[in-house]
Amino acid sequence: MIEFKDVSLVYPNGFKGLKNINLKIEKGEFVVIVGMSGAGKSTLIRSINRMVQPTSGQLIVNGRDITNLKDRQLRGLRTNVGMIFQSYNIVKRMSVLRNVLAGRLGHTGTLRSILGWFPQSDLQLAMRNLERVGIDSKAYQRASNLSGGQQQRISIARVLTQEPAVILADEPVASLDPPTSHKVMKDLKKVSKEDGLTTIVNLHFIDMAMEYADRIIGLRDGELVFDGPISEVTPETFVEIYGRPIKEDDLLGKDDEPEEVDLEDVVK
Amino acid sequence: MENRDKVKINQLFSRKKKMYTAAILIILAAVYIVAFLSTPFTIRSSSVSTLETLRRLFIEPLINPEYYSGYLEMIELMLETIAIAYAGVTVATIIAVPVGFLAARNLLGPLSYLAKALLNAIRAIPELIFAIIFVASVGIGPYAGVLAISINSVGMIGKLYAEVIESIDEEPLEAIRASGGNRIQVIWYGVLPQVLPEFVSYSLYRFEIDVRASTVLGIVGAGGIGAPLILATWQRNWEDVGMILIVVVVFVSIIDILSGQIRKRLT
Repeated sequence: MIEFKDVSLVYPNGFKGLKNINLKIEKGEFVVIVGMSGAGKSTLIRSINRMVQPTSGQLIVNGRDITNLKDRQLRGLRTNVGMIFQSYNIVKRMSVLRNVLAGRLGHTGTLRSILGWFPQSDLQLAMRNLERVGIDSKAYQRASNLSGGQQQRISIARVLTQEPAVILADEPVASLDPPTSHKVMKDLKKVSKEDGLTTIVNLHFIDMAMEYADRIIGLRDGELVFDGPISEVTPETFVEIYGRPIKEDDLLGKDDEPEEVDLEDVVK
Repeated sequence: MENRDKVKINQLFSRKKKMYTAAILIILAAVYIVAFLSTPFTIRSSSVSTLETLRRLFIEPLINPEYYSGYLEMIELMLETIAIAYAGVTVATIIAVPVGFLAARNLLGPLSYLAKALLNAIRAIPELIFAIIFVASVGIGPYAGVLAISINSVGMIGKLYAEVIESIDEEPLEAIRASGGNRIQVIWYGVLPQVLPEFVSYSLYRFEIDVRASTVLGIVGAGGIGAPLILATWQRNWEDVGMILIVVVVFVSIIDILSGQIRKRLT
């Protein structure tokens, strides 16, 4: 599905983001990439949809080398590879539903999208995906009225509505509190398994990675230092990835705090 | 802990920086001195007392029923003036949206400076000059006024629009790009929803300015209430001048209040 062949990336300022990465990810896998900040997690993920440009090597997505795609083909690739961001990247002044429909833009003609003429099937799809992440009742509210966890769910619904084969999630829960983080990760894992999507997630909390991943990839200074299923992971693995003993800060904490309560539902 | 040297509230400046500040202060002082010396402050006495003029301007039109019938005509002219401003700002908004995008650095890069330079040039030319040019080319009447107002307004709101676009949150744009959206879709679904409230707000604000500006356009024959105003002042017909000014003040105040209320609710 996705294959890195000797991929390196050097930023214009000379910083080496990735160093000779070789990696193969199969369809339907839920992969978590761990490493310290600056280890190249984001760079690796953003190479797959060419938000950054690898400087050497081959990157095969769906049987095709994507390192030299031009405008139109690049948009085709990105339509097939969805992305979730740390800061949600939704338009806060737009309604929840419109934000979700923005995921359809790659499938929609320019004129149609300007006029807002999304086919009824797209609207159905958007609503169904909002329902899957539990915020369909908020479809017509302004996105800014929703909590952080709900805003990240908007972006999950958006990415699902895009109907991609691959989901990239760049630190999806780094702006959320621990209980909400777990709920969002559970939602993400659930929907990606249901739809059989290949999912690659960047996380920097070790316990979280262990809880949700099928397979862990460890990066350190742009190099691949671990790659294997979670059954092969030992405490030493993380010492190797982090290059130092594990500290309290590397753990998010257990998912035993009370459920997130929606104030609006309580008041009703 | 060891005690530091005496802590000063401001950072100590280098000698060079102090000299620089002193030079600026001296230049500013020189400018003020020249300005005051070259302004004549003498007042030439007139045969008519100021108080009498003021009474004819603002008291007479209000208390003397003889003038009441004239207000209707003035209000009609004022409505024409407002219509000029409204049409002008509408045209200006339609033009300023694409121009604003062209002048936004975050979307167009270095090319944006070209559009910005054009907008600056437009703003440097006063409305009255545009009005005179358009009266010469399309003839006397409100049409020339609308053209003058719209061109001048593009200069200001185009620049304000560009600044609004430059201050948007670019993360949603990244998301749309990452999902395969093209450039136009990025603008339509990422930029426009973020900037529209401010666009409307700036257009309303400009409308307030344009109502005031249109009241003087008539002086050069570009329609509206300005023509009778300038005529009445030339004839020293202070009662008529007073009537016109009262109508202008009332309408301008009403528009400012209404538009201010709407703008407050927008953002």
